[in-house]
Amino acid sequence: MKLKVLPKSQRIHNHYLVLDIKSEKELSKKEFTSIVWDGCVRFQGENNTSNFNLWTIELIEDDKYSFYNEYKAILRCQRDFEDEVRSSLALVNNYDRKHISITCIGISGTIKGCSKFI
Amino acid sequence: MIDLNIKGSSYDNNLILAMQASCYGWKHINFSYNHNEYEEALSFKNDLKDNLKDFIDIDYTLNIKSNNPSEIRKIIRRYRNKSSCISVLGGNLKVNRNCLENIQVDVLSKPYFKRYDSGLNHVLAKEAKENNVAIEIVFSDVLKSYLAYRSKILANFREVYRLYRKYEFPLILSSGAESVFDLRTVQDFKAVFAQTGLSDLDVENSFKTAANILEFNNDRKNMILSGVRVVS
Repeated sequence: MKLKVLPKSQRIHNHYLVLDIKSEKELSKKEFTSIVWDGCVRFQGENNTSNFNLWTIELIEDDKYSFYNEYKAILRCQRDFEDEVRSSLALVNNYDRKHISITCIGISGTIKGCSKFI
Repeated sequence: MIDLNIKGSSYDNNLILAMQASCYGWKHINFSYNHNEYEEALSFKNDLKDNLKDFIDIDYTLNIKSNNPSEIRKIIRRYRNKSSCISVLGGNLKVNRNCLENIQVDVLSKPYFKRYDSGLNHVLAKEAKENNVAIEIVFSDVLKSYLAYRSKILANFREVYRLYRKYEFPLILSSGAESVFDLRTVQDFKAVFAQTGLSDLDVENSFKTAANILEFNNDRKNMILSGVRVVS
């Protein structure tokens, strides 16, 4: 049996971060999610990270040709914790011994609103 | 939104870095070179400026790395009129002290470099305030370290912040980026320092301090004595 959906006033409020990702290695959505969790747990600790309500909505590969792979991603996080998440992600430096950079280029209250940053 | 310390290299690399920084919201960046590379870098400075004039302002910082205070003084005297910002890499206590006492130095970079403490105390903090020498904290130090070493660097940052709040010396924050992988948006940059214990106002003030250094050095030719300037 499925749980009944909470009333609107009881739900957690989320914000959506639009991320710009540059990586020497090709990334899958699963790998990206593990990078995000690892970065947050490392910088903020397990206790703080539990507040963030992280969820990868989408990982989009950019067509731009350069010497690195470029992606855009939409990441869900809980409202009022945006600064904690973006600072944790800004401090991610490498994955699998390859350079990676994650930086937040926009924040929106809705997934639809993220489209203007991509 | 000014970054006074992005590691400069060849013309093409600088161009890529500057374009990326402009996309991420930076208004002005300074490429830093040490005194051996500085003359060569000056040769393509104007071309670089012309190419980037629609996107971002650029300039050069002279970054001096030496443990010998008298050598540092000599280099500063030689390059003072040729560069918009002179920074000295700290870490050595003698160097830290000599730089903070020298009014011709603009920035003491990383006083905590390769140390177990911040490299500053109340005496040095007072000197920095009196001689208007800024202390620089570099983002890439946190970015490129991890676990215990990162914690120690953050502890050193906090010690610098504590002295900054008490003695109000000029503090600047810079990225120290060497490639596009080290660049972040201005908001991310602010968020990281806010998380380490600086208030939003302190971060804004650090950008203003960097702007003041550039403005002061542009006007340096008109300075007769400290505090006396030719107006017209």
